[in-house]
Amino acid sequence: MRLKFRFNNIAAILCLAAFSASAYAGEATLNLEFPSPAYTASSFSSNLQPFMLTLNEATTTGALSTSRKAEFEPPFFTGSNLHKYLGLGTVALAIATAVAPKPPEIEDRLPTPAEVSAQDSSTHAKLGRATAAMAAATVTSGLISHWDDFYLEDGIFDPDNLHALLGAAGSLAIMYAVSKAPGEGHAGKGIFGGIAMGVAVKLTW
Amino acid sequence: MRKNTSYIVILTCVLLVNSTCAVAEENFIGWLLDFGRTKEVRPIDNEQYQEECKDCHFAYQPGLLPARSWEKLLNTEALRDHFGDNAEIDEDTLRIIHDYAVANAADKSYYKRSRKITVTTPEYAEPLRITKLHYIERKHDEIPDKMIKDNKDVKSLSYCDNCHTQAEKGVYDNDTVSIPNYPDWDD
Repeated sequence: MRLKFRFNNIAAILCLAAFSASAYAGEATLNLEFPSPAYTASSFSSNLQPFMLTLNEATTTGALSTSRKAEFEPPFFTGSNLHKYLGLGTVALAIATAVAPKPPEIEDRLPTPAEVSAQDSSTHAKLGRATAAMAAATVTSGLISHWDDFYLEDGIFDPDNLHALLGAAGSLAIMYAVSKAPGEGHAGKGIFGGIAMGVAVKLTW
Repeated sequence: MRKNTSYIVILTCVLLVNSTCAVAEENFIGWLLDFGRTKEVRPIDNEQYQEECKDCHFAYQPGLLPARSWEKLLNTEALRDHFGDNAEIDEDTLRIIHDYAVANAADKSYYKRSRKITVTTPEYAEPLRITKLHYIERKHDEIPDKMIKDNKDVKSLSYCDNCHTQAEKGVYDNDTVSIPNYPDWDD
């Protein structure tokens, strides 16, 4: 049973990691359309700009810039956005795990198979595993989409460096807590992980 | 359980103290309780500053330079030769602009990009050009000349708003960049 859950966890992490990588695939769009008459005409007229000798260059640039800015819409599905929503999701799941009803603790004897099964299938356990998977996906997507924001030379107090450090530490703590559950002491590691992830989000919010 | 709780308390304190250092310039509680986004640069909220700067060029947010740089840039003598132009203004307006720029400078802001500018600028340095800041140079060093200098619709890094479509709001992230004539610039 435990093996099956571990397999499920690994599969979930891999799926989420692959999902974060797909953010990049979505950004490049392949245009397979034939150039239409309208397209050709507009590209021709935009090429005309350099030949309009009497036009004030500064005005042209300004006007072009304004219209271009009005047309431009930032893409919704980007690596950066994905990382943001995964991070917020992780913090939300960590809070849900902390407040979810926990199965009764068995301290003085070994749990029976039925009790182990009940513990594994409790809402608290399911949310904990989901938090760990989402934390791993958050770190993976952060490394992919923000790899050029980390510079060790900037030191520990650089907001991005601190964010990465706390995010990775929090994620590891959550995963360690899940691997140690339902053993004693996993709660502390899980809470630390959740707080570290929360502070990491706040630092770059 | 008690041992665990004390560990959590200690670690939480360490984390919070650590974060305090990262935002040391501002009121920590104010920052902690502010749920607004502070990821970029604080947008300009002084109409006079906006209008006076915009008369000649893009109104750069004060959070793009440290206070010591604004001190050097915004005085009567410096404005007589403002990057080759005479940009003199009356004393009262200059005082308003100067005070606003210094109060919202990069080293006094808790906005993330301003903090990054502060961290990457040596304390002894008094950079006068935003484009010469180590952080800005590093962020743009992989962009070829053909997209900036040799691009007739960009010309120079100084024209932030030619590529950063939300520069006026203080947003300079990659998702809002659109380089004229190079729609697939990041491929």
